Amino acid sequence: MEFAYSSATGDALRNELTSLTAQTRVEGLLVLATPAVDITADSFETTLGSLSVPVCGGLFPQVIVDGEPRTSGLLAIGLPTAPTVTVVSELSEAGDDLDASLPADGSEAAFVFVDAHADADGVRSLIDALFRTYSVGLSVVGGGAGRLDGGDEPCLFTNDGVSKDAAVMAAVDQPIGIGVRHGWNEVDGPFRITDADGGTIRELDGEPAFEVYQEAIESNTDATLHREDFFETATAYPFGVSRLDGEPIVRDPFAVDGDAISCFGPVPEGEFVTVLAGETDTLIGAAEQAAETALTAEPIADTPGTLCVFDCISRHLYLDAAFEHEVAAIDTAGWPMVGALTIGEIANDGTGHLDYYNKTAVVAAVSDDA
Amino acid sequence: MPERQQRVQALYEIALTIGGKETLTETADAALAGYLRKLNCSVGGIFRATEDGYTPTATIPADPTGNALLSAGIDHLAERSNDAFPSHTEPTAGDHCYLFSLPEFGALVIGKQGGELDTATRSALTPLNEKLAEACRNKLVERQLREQRNRFEAVFDAIPEPIADTVVEDGTEEIIASNAEFERTFGDTDKTPGTALVPDGSNSDSGESTQHSRPIDTDDGDHRVTTETTCETVDGTGEFLFHGVPVAGDQADEYIHLYVDITDQKHREGELQRYERLVENLPIGVYRTTPGPDGEFKLVNQGLVDILEADSKAYFENRSVSEIYADPDEREAFSDRLLSEGAVDNVELQFETAAGNQIWGEVSGIVTQTDDGPVFELALQDITTRKERDQQLDVLNRVLRHNLRNALNVIDGNAAMLEDELSDDNDELQSHVEGIERRVSNLEALSEKAVTVRSLFDQGRSTTTACDVQALLARVAKEFEDRHPEARVVVDAPEESLYVNADVRLKMALSELVSNAVIHNNRATPEVQLTTETVVRDGEPAVEIVITDNGPGIPKHERKAIESGEETPLQHGTGLGLWLVYWAMSLLGGDIHIDDADPGTRIALQLPQVGGDAHAQPDSGTGVAVNSGD
Repeated sequence: MEFAYSSATGDALRNELTSLTAQTRVEGLLVLATPAVDITADSFETTLGSLSVPVCGGLFPQVIVDGEPRTSGLLAIGLPTAPTVTVVSELSEAGDDLDASLPADGSEAAFVFVDAHADADGVRSLIDALFRTYSVGLSVVGGGAGRLDGGDEPCLFTNDGVSKDAAVMAAVDQPIGIGVRHGWNEVDGPFRITDADGGTIRELDGEPAFEVYQEAIESNTDATLHREDFFETATAYPFGVSRLDGEPIVRDPFAVDGDAISCFGPVPEGEFVTVLAGETDTLIGAAEQAAETALTAEPIADTPGTLCVFDCISRHLYLDAAFEHEVAAIDTAGWPMVGALTIGEIANDGTGHLDYYNKTAVVAAVSDDA
Repeated sequence: MPERQQRVQALYEIALTIGGKETLTETADAALAGYLRKLNCSVGGIFRATEDGYTPTATIPADPTGNALLSAGIDHLAERSNDAFPSHTEPTAGDHCYLFSLPEFGALVIGKQGGELDTATRSALTPLNEKLAEACRNKLVERQLREQRNRFEAVFDAIPEPIADTVVEDGTEEIIASNAEFERTFGDTDKTPGTALVPDGSNSDSGESTQHSRPIDTDDGDHRVTTETTCETVDGTGEFLFHGVPVAGDQADEYIHLYVDITDQKHREGELQRYERLVENLPIGVYRTTPGPDGEFKLVNQGLVDILEADSKAYFENRSVSEIYADPDEREAFSDRLLSEGAVDNVELQFETAAGNQIWGEVSGIVTQTDDGPVFELALQDITTRKERDQQLDVLNRVLRHNLRNALNVIDGNAAMLEDELSDDNDELQSHVEGIERRVSNLEALSEKAVTVRSLFDQGRSTTTACDVQALLARVAKEFEDRHPEARVVVDAPEESLYVNADVRLKMALSELVSNAVIHNNRATPEVQLTTETVVRDGEPAVEIVITDNGPGIPKHERKAIESGEETPLQHGTGLGLWLVYWAMSLLGGDIHIDDADPGTRIALQLPQVGGDAHAQPDSGTGVAVNSGD
């Protein structure tokens, strides 16, 4: 797939994107922007509206261009077939009756980006609705958009402009192979979630969530958890929601309010969570396995294509300098590597359940052939 | 985490997804998603067993035909009997599909691509599956109950009478649901309309419901109520037939209240009762009989009891109708006539009372068809007194026409012979004879007028012949001018013809009045003016004929007798002329008004106006055909 990275703005950006869309195998654009891009500027919306091909994208903490994370600029990925773009508005209000039917029956895959700061139950409703409708019949890959320190700001866009508290989906005809791995391991638990709402855990095993979490970390690791610098410590000890025959689904705690711990993604009351910890090598190894899985998936074997990586920004924050090794582990010769560092990842691996993950490396090998 | 612990957790978390949803589909959908998420499976379905096989209640993906693994599982399901579960199939290498029984509901299908469920997990799913089956069964029952409730609510709303669902707690009854007609009739209220339909619980004599009782238990102990009650409605006050039916409730006593509006019915019943009282108290006999030569009494009123001098209505029980006839054979003739004509009016018959007295009755009746065949509805009026007066009048008429006139003829003849024998110079005797002759002449005129009066009544009370009033007045005026050339009889009427229903009696009345005005006039030239105009009489159009003369006027005692309609020894007239006019007008449906004029008298006759084209007959004795103008 053709792609272009640009730090330009205004007319220069429009010209560059227009040039990209003029290429023969570009029928649509997947646009991944960094927080350095003012997507709320009129010129940006004008640019989106002026493009002659369907556009779908979001703003992410960082983008990956040719295997290198970038904190500024914008990455535009040319899709070889025209995508069908759908916007789900008011995502936080979505319920179990959400109709996730896409207007493009027969599509092979879909890129799905959600506002990471939308209500966690709304995000879950969308993911559940997609799975109930398509199961593994549609390969889904994507992640949570938004600023890491953001909130109520637009972070998604299409040709029609920018939006917030929404989801954007681009259904494409390209077959993709998906690998999903995180490499985090259990250090304590399980703990039953006895009081929770959306992505907020108030009680674990009937006790204040923060106290249980703090005790689990401090009694099993050398770390000390303080409310004041909660995120810095907690990013190394996410929660894991277990499932049979698969890695637990990671829930990333990012804030504490009293004894309530807020996570990216839903944490249903009544379920069990464990406290996870990660080793650098293990996490990097998991990312490498994800890439291998994606590249060996049946639909894309022996075909040219591009690696679209949606790796969690919190993995980058946790691995810090070692993150370049994770990117390098994913990087595969002959497969251009693009993507974004997201706030939560969305994927099914083609054989299992569709879910919203945290702290997980999602690698999609996208075939150039439709 | 140990594998067993992880399995227990997963199963527990699956259990959390079972139940708690509104509908069967939602319940199955949520549970299936929980199974797949926690078992890390990709496809599945919950199927309900029916007579026609398994039908999907929920599947993931929504369209199972597009997924080879789930399609294979469904095909496998179709081939299995219920006792063959659990079952397993591997349609393609590495892809596994598992079939589980959902007892008394159907089956669960779970597909896992690229992996399989271990035996321990599959076995551990059994209690979950039973729980899922129970949840689905409950929702199925709920759905059926909901459908039944929806049907009930549809009927509830379709009932055209006010209906409400109420509960009674702590002796207070409140409405929890009602239909649209209820709200339209009683407004938006949560209180039961009507008077104290739920009395104090202390009055209850039943041990079943200690909180309250119903006012009328029509069915012992079950608190059903049927009673009439008065209710305030949005339109005022209404009468209702109240039905209260208890409904078995777990928490409180519940009732269905139905209000049938009987306001109109009660009004009609009241009207009927008043009518029945009226009929009962009528001075005429009202009775119902079967047809036939004998006839059987079905109903009699007190009036018939009184007329036939019976002691009570029981007199007519087991007594044939023919027995009240003076001649029982007349009963058969009357029955035949009534059956033949369907209705009869004013048939005069002779009856015999219980005391053996013979009376005259005037009978009217109709034939009415009932479930038991035709019956006669009859009214009998005692006309014995009238018949006797008719007899008296006949005798008096004979006396006037024959005996008195014959005697007058003899007196007149003798007076003439006496006059012939008197010498011309015997003036005094001559004047006596002339006095005799004048009085005889007056008596003859009076006798003739009495006969004329009698003839008024022979023609009945009404006529349907239209009479051209102007033409009639012209004819009368001409006749009098011919007979009395010294008099002036002037007709001053509009050119447009005016019509009334009248026959020769109107001409008789007019002739009498003009005659009086001319003959009893003391002027050298008697003048009589005849005019007409239209007036309103009792709210209806009428024609007023005014006769004005220049004579001395009518004596007060004559006018008073006419105006009061009766004569007394102290207040009487001197002849029959004004009475003739009075009776003629009365019989024709008109009236007479006498006023003084200056000079003379003004007499106005008013008769209902009719159209000239109605009931046309060429001449009914007035000598004036309709529209003839002659």
